[in-house]
Amino acid sequence: MTPLEILAAAFVAVGTFFGFVATVGIIRLPDLYSRLHAASKSDTLGSVLSLAGIAVVFGITTESMKLVFLLVFLFVTSPTAAHAIARAAKEQEVEPAGENAWLDENDAESEGEGGER
Amino acid sequence: MVADHGDVLVPVGDSETLRRTVAYAVEQAYESAAETGESVTIHFVYPARWRIFETDRDDITIANELLNRVVVWAEEDLDELVGEDAPKPVNVESATVGTSEYVFSPGDFADVISRYADANGVERIVVDPSFRPGGSVPILRSFEEELAQRGFDVFEAPVTRQTRRRLPFTDIGLPEFFLVYAVSFLFYLALGGWHVTDLYEVVTGAATAGVVTLTLSRVALKSELPDLRLIGMSLVRLAAYTPILLWEIAKANVALAYVVLHPRLPIDPRIVEFDAAVWGDMPVTTLANSITLTPGTLTIDVSRQHFLVHALIPEAEDDLLEGTLERLVRFVFYGRDSASIASPRERLDDGEEEN
Repeated sequence: MTPLEILAAAFVAVGTFFGFVATVGIIRLPDLYSRLHAASKSDTLGSVLSLAGIAVVFGITTESMKLVFLLVFLFVTSPTAAHAIARAAKEQEVEPAGENAWLDENDAESEGEGGER
Repeated sequence: MVADHGDVLVPVGDSETLRRTVAYAVEQAYESAAETGESVTIHFVYPARWRIFETDRDDITIANELLNRVVVWAEEDLDELVGEDAPKPVNVESATVGTSEYVFSPGDFADVISRYADANGVERIVVDPSFRPGGSVPILRSFEEELAQRGFDVFEAPVTRQTRRRLPFTDIGLPEFFLVYAVSFLFYLALGGWHVTDLYEVVTGAATAGVVTLTLSRVALKSELPDLRLIGMSLVRLAAYTPILLWEIAKANVALAYVVLHPRLPIDPRIVEFDAAVWGDMPVTTLANSITLTPGTLTIDVSRQHFLVHALIPEAEDDLLEGTLERLVRFVFYGRDSASIASPRERLDDGEEEN
């Protein structure tokens, strides 16, 4: 194996590991919000690293440039999607586990006007 | 249109029909003053788009210059209507509102305007039809509806926009069109492997870029060409920001992998709320997405600059309140001067001392 191939294999292996972590996280974590952590972070890094590994195999070509664009879009869309899901859950008043209760009940009077939407 | 008393409010923003809107508002005010025999006040109100702080002085200057110009125009019109030396039945006032908060949605704009209107007893609002409160986002209609829901009489000034040539089906002029077109075309060629000599590639690229520009130009650009120098500076700083962000992301994932794979699952989820010291849609979006990508934190909701964040592990909450990310985002968008603003934790502590 050439050093480049080893690098590519390492990228894909680490990417697969984080994909695994994301899966385990989604199963093990207790509530929607915690699960979103696994879905938004580990999953992003997992796919990003795998794509980077493929880009290394291709070298500097059009294909790897497309892969780089894919990486950038993943970095932008994945947290946005997680945020959209979390926000929707909050609007549906899904309670988070742990030290729960929304803090905004306490200081509702200070931020009252901005909240209703 | 007879109101109890004829005071008029005009939201002011730079637009090509502003001059004629001012003339119309002055005429209306003058007529109702003549009908009732009482003096009438016109309020010209400039809604600030984001919180103004040290590095953003330009915005204040622009707002003040525009308001001064509007007042001069209104006084000219009055002179024409009643004669230069006659006593004026119409008073002209001007103000900037919404400077202490991040005004973003149509509801936000209606809020700051209606607060001013209530404080000054105004019930009638004259809107410039090409007033663009949302910058790139066309929210004038919903802004007007929100105002009407709050019980105001809302009128659009009957002025037509003809001063600027617009391309069919779009809301932009030629320079903007060419900028978006060029970027889309080059992007198409780059994706296709840069076969610049291939006629097929060039023709399909030109067609695709045309469709993209016509449909997406209002989303891609604000009303005018952006300041290229500012964008360049931001891009350079963004290049410096990216490796730091990548490092933070790597740390986040190792920490998360540890927690998730640990047999006892040592998590301590909690909700953190804080006001970030960033203003404007791009900086807030960048910060929100960076928070989601970094150690154990997930942005749930953002209202103006108020962040609601879910933290999975206690260290994540600490990192967040240290404000490293926030400082970096400020650095990218506003430059080095703004890095010295206190961290969220210091600001929270200050707030508690005041209470």
